[in-house]
Amino acid sequence: MKNLVVPGEIVSEKPYRADGVFMEEGKTLSAVMGVVEDGRLIPLKGPYFPKRGDYVIGIIKEEGFYGWMADLHSPFEGKISARETREKFRIGDVVSAKIFEVDEVGEALLGEARRLWEGEVLEVEPAKIPRIIGKSGSMVSLIKQYAKTDAFVGQNGRIYLKGGDTSMAVMAILKICSEAHVSGLTDRISAFLEKGGKD
Amino acid sequence: MAKVLKEEDLIKNGKRCDGRGFEDLRPIIVKAGVLKQASGSAYVEWGRNKVYAAVYGPHEVFPKHMTNNYKALINARYIMAPFSGLDDHSRSGPNRRSIEISKVAKHVFENVVLTNLFPKTMIDVHMEVMQSDGGTRVASITAASVALADAGIPMRDLVCGVSVGKVAGELLLDLDKYEDNLGGSDVPMIFAPRNGDLLLYQMDGMLSKDEVERAYDMALGACKKIRVLQENALKEKYKEVFEKIKGGENGNNQGSY
Repeated sequence: MKNLVVPGEIVSEKPYRADGVFMEEGKTLSAVMGVVEDGRLIPLKGPYFPKRGDYVIGIIKEEGFYGWMADLHSPFEGKISARETREKFRIGDVVSAKIFEVDEVGEALLGEARRLWEGEVLEVEPAKIPRIIGKSGSMVSLIKQYAKTDAFVGQNGRIYLKGGDTSMAVMAILKICSEAHVSGLTDRISAFLEKGGKD
Repeated sequence: MAKVLKEEDLIKNGKRCDGRGFEDLRPIIVKAGVLKQASGSAYVEWGRNKVYAAVYGPHEVFPKHMTNNYKALINARYIMAPFSGLDDHSRSGPNRRSIEISKVAKHVFENVVLTNLFPKTMIDVHMEVMQSDGGTRVASITAASVALADAGIPMRDLVCGVSVGKVAGELLLDLDKYEDNLGGSDVPMIFAPRNGDLLLYQMDGMLSKDEVERAYDMALGACKKIRVLQENALKEKYKEVFEKIKGGENGNNQGSY
């Protein structure tokens, strides 16, 4: 209980740079709500900041001579250059893409853009994505296995589901989001899935 | 014949008209995450004050020409519901007083939010006073700070505030409507309680230098208490889930997250 923090609480006596923290007088303090584990802050809330190398799911919201702008469920937008892709997109299309570069105002340059067909998109808190993926993808493969669905998790808090029992997958993901800060998550989720999506 | 309330009537036998001592706060209830559509929200019941705060964003700047390429803009909006007070507020919508409070609230949040992390964006902070009984600006900013933390917007500290005033020659903490209207002086203050930064100081009426110093100490002491309430409100939701899962397992709640 004692390691749940709100903005302005000490995370570590040593200064370091990371997401959701700031440094003051040689100490590291939390800037957002989170859980402290071994002097590291795991944020519980917060918007998505585009990072180079992340795979994201965007929704096309603007078309220009340069290409397309995609909404990334974030304060910042993603730009798809027409040179980088052979596909043509229309406003409202859901695309998966990789972030090639982030400029100084946070805008992301996207590559490997592909349109996603037919499935469903679920939006969750971006801070929970690492728990949904699990250690080297263990949690998401658990969901895929039980729900027999094809899942693609974007780092920006969007999850694309196609085929199989998507409602069970959604229930499992929402359960992860609400219980992510309590230890023993994997056991609870696998028990939940084994019972067919019931507690 | 109706008796007209005077300043001297507000203090009797060392107690205030609502039974509080000179340095007592009104009962305060803080709740986080009360509105579903907002990125973050909070509700504060401060005596008879009832305030909702909601935060939207960070999102694209509107109007676009206001964009700052180095930091996020904060758009604070304080407003009183037309049915909030005892007096007739006649029309809804912003008036001279609420525009002023919106402006000072904006400056408070610009000092604590790490705006440089969100260039070219804007954060909307709405504060709606549903019922008022003196000290709504400090209640609103206290609520909005919880709403900002609930939205996950990076901040240096939670901010909160309280007013101190002089009524019938005595310094009183947390004035209500009558003490505010009839008293001699009213000083709302907003602090970042962690390091004691004073972020807002407005003064109506007069205080001597000694009184200003005493008022500062009283307000800072009270703000440290209010900050604890804010913290508990934010943690409550996560604790509930924790206790639901862990409480049944081993009977005690001493486990780690």
